[in-house]
Amino acid sequence: MISNRKKTFQNLFIVFVVLLLILLPFYAGEYAVTTFIRIIYFGFLAVAMGFLIGQGGMVSLAHTAFFGIAGYVIGLFGYERGWPFPTADIFAIVVVIVFAVIFGMIAIRAQKIVFLMITLAFGQVVWAFALQNTKLLHGWAGIRGIRPYLIAGINFYEINNYYWMSLVLFALGLWVLWRIVKSPFGLALNGTAESSQRMSALGYPVYWIRVAAFVLAAVYAALGGILATYNTGVITPTTIQMSRTIWVLLMVILGGASYFWGPVLGTFVAVWLDVFISQNTERYNTVIGVIFILIVLFSPTGILGVVDNIRNRKNNGFLSKWLPKRNKKLDTEV
Amino acid sequence: MIKKRLNIFAVLILVLVLVTACATPAPEPETQEPNAGESVEPEAEQIKIGFISAFTGVFSSFGTMQREGAELALEEYNYEVAGKEIVVIYEDDQLDNELAVTKAKKLVQQDDIDILTGMVSGDEGLTVGDYMKDKGIPVVPMYSASEDMTMRSFFPMVVRATWTGAQSQDVFGYYLAKELGYTKIYQIGEDYSYPWNQGGGFIRGFCRGGGEEVASVWFPPGSTSDFSSMIASIPLDEDYDAVYYNGAGGDAVNFIKQFVELGMLDQIPLLGQSNTTEKPDLDSLPTDIVGVLSAHHTTDDMTNPEWVAFSEAFNERWGHDPSAASEFAYSSMRMILRALEAVDGDVSDKEALVEAMINVDMTDDPRGPVVIDPTYHAAIGNVYIREVAMGDDGVLFNKGLLTVENVSQFGPYDPDVYLAQPEDTNSYPSGLCSDLPAEMLEGPEYEFLPFGD
Repeated sequence: MISNRKKTFQNLFIVFVVLLLILLPFYAGEYAVTTFIRIIYFGFLAVAMGFLIGQGGMVSLAHTAFFGIAGYVIGLFGYERGWPFPTADIFAIVVVIVFAVIFGMIAIRAQKIVFLMITLAFGQVVWAFALQNTKLLHGWAGIRGIRPYLIAGINFYEINNYYWMSLVLFALGLWVLWRIVKSPFGLALNGTAESSQRMSALGYPVYWIRVAAFVLAAVYAALGGILATYNTGVITPTTIQMSRTIWVLLMVILGGASYFWGPVLGTFVAVWLDVFISQNTERYNTVIGVIFILIVLFSPTGILGVVDNIRNRKNNGFLSKWLPKRNKKLDTEV
Repeated sequence: MIKKRLNIFAVLILVLVLVTACATPAPEPETQEPNAGESVEPEAEQIKIGFISAFTGVFSSFGTMQREGAELALEEYNYEVAGKEIVVIYEDDQLDNELAVTKAKKLVQQDDIDILTGMVSGDEGLTVGDYMKDKGIPVVPMYSASEDMTMRSFFPMVVRATWTGAQSQDVFGYYLAKELGYTKIYQIGEDYSYPWNQGGGFIRGFCRGGGEEVASVWFPPGSTSDFSSMIASIPLDEDYDAVYYNGAGGDAVNFIKQFVELGMLDQIPLLGQSNTTEKPDLDSLPTDIVGVLSAHHTTDDMTNPEWVAFSEAFNERWGHDPSAASEFAYSSMRMILRALEAVDGDVSDKEALVEAMINVDMTDDPRGPVVIDPTYHAAIGNVYIREVAMGDDGVLFNKGLLTVENVSQFGPYDPDVYLAQPEDTNSYPSGLCSDLPAEMLEGPEYEFLPFGD
């Protein structure tokens, strides 16, 4: 009985939060909306990287490159060659899939640190190519002046429309990914991370499962890249440089790489931290760095790990005296 | 499990959404519409200036110099014009274009700025400019030298009291061909828009002055610290009159050191672009390079009273000599403040404010008199031919040799003819003077006046 009441309450609560997010433009400032758009497009990238780390046990530094490739395709074809709305965007995703399949098939042959190094190399090659190709990609300057479209009478250059569109896309993306994580494929992927030998002994095509996960993550990164490119109006090599990859990786770890919601939360916290701290001090990089170190030191599983710890301690630790008793039945249920 | 996480997640999101909603000021000041009875507007007593630059990262030294120059001008006005407080909001973009746009959005959307300034690199200026195009807020680029900001991508809210890449180099190229009789130059340049623009100006001026060829080699900036192969492949037997190093910063320091170590200085003269021998990088260069020529809008030994006063004030405030970047920032900020004075602190009409900026009297500018072209809002001012010299204390400085007055961003060319040419890249102008259209090879001659008169 209690559990049902609690469940209803929780559901109401989630609806409340979703409403808050949807109604954001009505009660928060314009820059808060801009920042949420930024959280969403980096969120896509973080989710992609977090999915590979958490579910597949693969730390990929190549996905910022897919983020950038999608952006460059939009710039090259959607903007410079004027392809109409969905074609350039679909083409961007197709191009990213082609790259991801070819590169994934090479990189997945390696594991752990070697895999990391190969993906790092790929990311750097894409970045260096974008930087040095002055004929097509305009080198350092990149492609400027990209604008969102007017679709079905809705002007997506208007920031609120763009926010809602991004929010819907992100929610949809997360829902699909959640279903994938829960699907036999997701569980098999998880299995390959736990013990790839046992999985192949059971007859699973470990290699192809990993390639598929790699490509799936690349598609998520591409979606983020497309949203980012329309939002900033530019795509340049600095968008996909090494420091950006590291930053996104830190966001994933900050939130909790092994949790489904970790990357999203990490992006959310990191972007807002950046906004607040850079307003107050020029040494914001140092402050953010220290926060990252503290979190990784005291909770290698990120913020969600801290929350989890507190919840566990609440039941059987020193805090249990003061905190309300937790419904144990719920635990076994879920 | 996932459901449980979702709950935790929802709680955290809620808390953070509430925090952010409280912390980012919702557009409250906008509620003070004029229809409200009282005309007392406490918020309007402030004039907000947004300042985007690279305060961290590879260009941080330029960002810092800009900030120092701008603050000096602000302090002269005690951060106050017509009884209104001037608030400057500094934002660091680390020279990352995605971040530059994000910071510009922050300044426009959250801080509700009246003027945007700063910007150190050319691409940064163009990127921010692209976002600012339809915002109706004056944009005053400082050290950002991309000529297209006041040419092909011009929009009426841009006012540039400083320079373009080609502006000084057109004079420099012309000088080398006409006065020194050089006919062939070997250019080694960093492969991005600012050196392209400097090189473009250089080639046009050189060709118009009677030169024949500028052969170019481009390399990606920051890609190597070993220039020995690049230096070894300079064709010494093909009668090049000089090597024009078109780059700056750490690359320039490495290149010039190796150029000197390999004994090249004895075999072929070295020339620099505007930033190659600028302070503070000049302090890291070997003293052998005394005599290396360059051209810029400032020198380190100017004696006009305005520069002396500026230099002394700068030294007193910051403890070191000003550079071109700090002078440009000082001069731009002073132009903004004078324009604000002219409109009596009323920033509601941005077009009037831009008009006031164009009409600001800048004849007392430290780097020499400056006028702003009313059509493209770019500065017309002095260009100095200078050489690296050594002071009595053994410290290198840029010594002025010759002055050319009233150089516009279009040089001596007709603006329409100039704008009809493609923008400068690493393949245009080609470097063969015979490839340039005839109308780009004519125009009034530059008059070289002795420096310091």
